[in-house]
Amino acid sequence: MLACLAALWLAACGVQVPSDPDGTLDRVSGGELRVGAVEEPGLVETEGPSPEGPLPELVRGFADTVDARVTWRVGSEETLVTALEDGELDLVIGGFTDQTPWIERAGLTRGYRNIEHADGRSLVLLVPMGENAFLSALERSLDEEVGG
Amino acid sequence: MTRPGSAQFGRTDLPEKQRIALKKAIRWELFTIVYTSITITVVAFVVGGSQAMRTAWIEDMLSLLPQLAFLTAVIFVRRRPSVKHPYGLHRAMAVGHLVAGIALLAVGLNLAVEAATGLIAAEHPTIGTVQLFGQTIWLGWLMIAVMVIVVVGPVFIYGPAKAKLAPVLHNKLLYADADMAKADWQTNAASIVGVLGIGLGIWWLDGAAALFISIGIVWDGVRNTKGAVIDLMDQRARSYDDKKPHPLAGAITGYLRSLPWVVDAGVRLRDEGQVFHVEAFVVPRRAKVRTEALSAASEGITRLDWKVQDVVVVPVEELPSEADRALGG
Repeated sequence: MLACLAALWLAACGVQVPSDPDGTLDRVSGGELRVGAVEEPGLVETEGPSPEGPLPELVRGFADTVDARVTWRVGSEETLVTALEDGELDLVIGGFTDQTPWIERAGLTRGYRNIEHADGRSLVLLVPMGENAFLSALERSLDEEVGG
Repeated sequence: MTRPGSAQFGRTDLPEKQRIALKKAIRWELFTIVYTSITITVVAFVVGGSQAMRTAWIEDMLSLLPQLAFLTAVIFVRRRPSVKHPYGLHRAMAVGHLVAGIALLAVGLNLAVEAATGLIAAEHPTIGTVQLFGQTIWLGWLMIAVMVIVVVGPVFIYGPAKAKLAPVLHNKLLYADADMAKADWQTNAASIVGVLGIGLGIWWLDGAAALFISIGIVWDGVRNTKGAVIDLMDQRARSYDDKKPHPLAGAITGYLRSLPWVVDAGVRLRDEGQVFHVEAFVVPRRAKVRTEALSAASEGITRLDWKVQDVVVVPVEELPSEADRALGG
């Protein structure tokens, strides 16, 4: 099919598709992954020195796949989403579902239902808008860990 | 062919060739509705964060309007003229055309504004991956594949088929519908460019493609609205593609001038949709005209073409200045 031919052609030219307009994946790989965490019982616990729970675990798993070091910032949803928009963060986690109103201001991963303590929610992680290579790499890692 | 009495009231039955063409046109319109509904459903699964895809998707929904207008109008144009509707209900076709045109115009403008504001606000479209048969692939590839596949119908199947039927039926709504279908590849090509742009990190290509598609919709709206309004305002009858004055005017005046009792002739032709309403003015050789001669003249005109079955022949001392003498044709 044409799409496959286009994919092959682009791959042959050494172009990465999808790619990030602002180069997030390139910057994060082998570097620093800046993550915002919103407290959410059972999913994100922010009492300790660094956030714990199923979602921070998934983030650490993803960071390993791209050889990144995670730095954390804890705050409220609006503060962290604004930081994401301003390019101060690469990823925001919390009790966000695929119905989140933040879709206006952030990119969403697909919804994942198999995360521990999701309680039937279809959970998403927030990424900067339009950073599609970063988003795709993240989703690939999540698919490995907690399935589609 | 003509009903007993006179040719003065239009008819609603069609000759064999047109009857078959109309039947085919109805079948093609139904096929289009089914095809487009499937397209809309499939695209819904992949529409994602691309504004170009969203615009193309809404255009698909809008493209149902001409078919619905045509099928609704067909019910009405079959009705015979009556005291209440002395010209029949042929204008239903133009009314449908107008409604479809206005809808295209309004929604097209709305989408154009949406695309422009997205571009100005520098919104970066987000497209992630999907899981398909256990594989994680970028959704953009699926979008492109779908847009390539669904373009087959309008451009290669029903667009050309309807374009062939429109002149036979002298149906401008059908013609405009076919014309838009044949131009559908531009929409699909634009949305593919938009998605590829996103894939390459050129985020603004998506908004630009969306703007291109919505301007296309606005243009279709303007063209259709203009065509429908002009017909409803009774402009001189023109060919099905509006490119030239309809040659029947010349045929009618030519026929009338060939009658021994007629010195000169002119017509006022209005397009009622598929058929024309004819007012023919004749300057007779003598002051006295036999009514039989007038009836024979109107019957003679109805024999010229299936579209002219609603004919009034009026003897006058001098031709009205606005009558079409069609001397060129």
